[in-house]
Amino acid sequence: MRSANRLATHILPLALALLPGVALAAPLKVQFNSDIRSNQPGVNRDANSDSVMMNVVEGLVTQGDGGRIVPVLADSWTVSEDGTVYTFTLRDGVTFHDGAALTAEAVKWSLEKTLGDENFPCRTFFDGSRGSKITEIGAPDARTVTLTLESPNAMLLPFMAQTQCGGMAILSEASYNADGSWKAPVGTGPFVFGEWKRGESIQLTKYAGYVPHGEVQDGFGGRKEALVDEVNILVVPDISTAIAGLESGALDILPYISPTEGAKLRDEKGVNVTAEPHGGIVTMLFQTNDPLMSNLALRKAFVAALDMPELVDAVMAGLTTPNNSLVSAKSSYHGEVQKQGYTYDPAAVPALLAEAGYKGEKITILTNRRSAINFDTAMIAQAMLQAVGINAEIEVLDWATQLDRYNSGNYQVMAFNYSNRADPALAFQAIAGSKAEKANAIWDNDEVVALIAEVTAEADPAKRQALFDTLHQRFIADLPLVMLTNNLDVSATRPGVEGYRTLQGIVRLWGVSRS
Amino acid sequence: MLRFALSRLLSTIPTLLLVSVAVFGLIRLIPGDPASLIMGDLADTAALEAARQAMGLDRPVPVQFAIWLGNALTGDLGTSIASNEPVLDLVLRRFSTSAWMVLIAVGIATLIAVPLGMLAAWKQNGALDLGIVAMSTLLVSIPTFWLGLMILLTFGLNLGWLPVIGYVAITTDTKAGLIYLIMPVLTLVLHEVGIIVRMARASTLDVLRLDYVTHARAKGLSEGAILRKHVARNAFGPTWTLLGLILGNLLGGVAVVETVFTIPGLGRLIVDAIYARDYPVIQGCLLFVAVIYMVVNLIVDLLYPIFDPRVTAQ
Repeated sequence: MRSANRLATHILPLALALLPGVALAAPLKVQFNSDIRSNQPGVNRDANSDSVMMNVVEGLVTQGDGGRIVPVLADSWTVSEDGTVYTFTLRDGVTFHDGAALTAEAVKWSLEKTLGDENFPCRTFFDGSRGSKITEIGAPDARTVTLTLESPNAMLLPFMAQTQCGGMAILSEASYNADGSWKAPVGTGPFVFGEWKRGESIQLTKYAGYVPHGEVQDGFGGRKEALVDEVNILVVPDISTAIAGLESGALDILPYISPTEGAKLRDEKGVNVTAEPHGGIVTMLFQTNDPLMSNLALRKAFVAALDMPELVDAVMAGLTTPNNSLVSAKSSYHGEVQKQGYTYDPAAVPALLAEAGYKGEKITILTNRRSAINFDTAMIAQAMLQAVGINAEIEVLDWATQLDRYNSGNYQVMAFNYSNRADPALAFQAIAGSKAEKANAIWDNDEVVALIAEVTAEADPAKRQALFDTLHQRFIADLPLVMLTNNLDVSATRPGVEGYRTLQGIVRLWGVSRS
Repeated sequence: MLRFALSRLLSTIPTLLLVSVAVFGLIRLIPGDPASLIMGDLADTAALEAARQAMGLDRPVPVQFAIWLGNALTGDLGTSIASNEPVLDLVLRRFSTSAWMVLIAVGIATLIAVPLGMLAAWKQNGALDLGIVAMSTLLVSIPTFWLGLMILLTFGLNLGWLPVIGYVAITTDTKAGLIYLIMPVLTLVLHEVGIIVRMARASTLDVLRLDYVTHARAKGLSEGAILRKHVARNAFGPTWTLLGLILGNLLGGVAVVETVFTIPGLGRLIVDAIYARDYPVIQGCLLFVAVIYMVVNLIVDLLYPIFDPRVTAQ
């Protein structure tokens, strides 16, 4: 015991003092469950890569709180009367991380370079494949950038603001090698991308030349001021280890925890847990090409059997409430119509099943263990369905396999989450389409597709609201999927960490301080 | 001996070829592809096809295999789809991380387990034997994931003696590297001790029953001298073979321990690559693991005569 104490009091602290970084001003330490795929915004990416990049790079516009489009590198913008020319005025005093000034020419070069990259998956949002086609990028003077569209499209700015697209980051030429290949991000964000130890950690350092603008934070825009000198993102795949790290002080922030873990940490360990709904959507998809699930009466029975408040409460650990609309609960378009959702009516199920001609055939719900929300949704829904005589079974797949089944349309029912969309129209666009042309389409209805095309082209908020109302009513009537609720950003922080938010699945490190 | 080693190495070529074909084919039989993982829920049919084309996944599988094999023969295992790193660099870097941990752990486990096993055999059916056998059974039965987590919570969190998160390579900073390795090595040692003790005990019991041991006792030799001079070397042979198998197995990656202790080793790389459907990395890793397994067992065979001169490398 005495030697153990000596080890504790003398040898190990001495040894720990020799560890790199321990004697220095300790950086803010953030846990990621896996490494990023690359440091090239929007190209070789996943959610973790997007998270890091949104702290390092910036686009002309981004998503503010509530999904509004707000300026970042642009100071302001105007749209021509015919809706085809967007003119952006750049913010003054912006420099890249290498000190070079941000100019209209630099923006034009960066956008052309990104949109010309065949490995940039989001280029289909801007080449006409998905409705919006940029025909010309102009730089008429040092502070003005113009984007000319082939035809008007109200989704241009939301497309540009998508975090999955790296927010259409404006990157310095220094980000690339002389042969045009990718080197490392030299952006304009509040943090500089530092040392990346693959599989271990990513270092971000405060960009001393960053000039914050605005007075308050606003989503990914507004005031973006780094309040810590250094951030270390540590790859800790096991959540139990991560929680031990948080308790021991080896970690300051766990940005992505499941609602149930969050509630448990808050209740049992007294950890500061924040939960905030975002535009991501938690669903159970129906394959309406399936012989069974193509039957609307059966889908109605399915939905009538689900006690939505109880289901959402259990899955989200009481941290949020149901939202049966594809329009996010936080969106300004989420009005009275969107509040009208499904009706829990188990007594009506037998009649609906009889109408559908259902004879106890097995219905398989696909799910995965990567998302606790998906897994819990499937489990609880199965119990509710079985209670009313629907023979529901669960098949648990690994995520890659489930995604493949989603993309090929090979399923009956699937617990599935969509990531946040910058505009409600994009949420509808994500699920609608012709199954013959797009195997992962969920809602195959030409009239609906036309309505969505109309709302994507429409800029007037009142007209858009009317269109969203119509779409929601059709959505509830057609039941192409079960919309449960908006997803949650649940994060845990150590005492003393102030100002942290996981925002729409993205780790927001500016404005975070630690006492 | 050189001839033996060369012939053994040559005999591994068909095995490696079979491993390559099996790995290449099996991973492509699993649903899911890297293109859809990159695109996520933003994917549309055209973009997915374009991404697959860019990765060369649109070509027929035999063509993909021929290209990969041709490159592998020149030492080029391709480039990771997930990280764009050369696979060989990635595998070697991750392997060296795992190798330090495994070699230290197996070394310590052997030093503890072999004497314990022999002691248990010597005191067969006594309280000491019972205690050692019970302990080894318990250690083998505890899942390494749980054992690791308990060690982490005890020494890292509750006592606060050791760092809970992070990793420093021994080659970068020896002292810090060793400190970060204490808990994962302890986990592996405890698990492997359980296995090695049982083998050491069983093989010692076999030798203790032989006539020449009875003869040595009849000559009046002390039990210590009998164990040391007549039993130990003869009994170590089977344990040595087992150590080769354990080393080959562990050097192929200890994903669970690496995950619990955030060690960026080969096991975690393989698991991550499978989840990401990073075909070049999976193929490279498994081919490398097969080579390591064969090399380790070849070394074990070549060194066997040192412990048992009756066996020659032929």
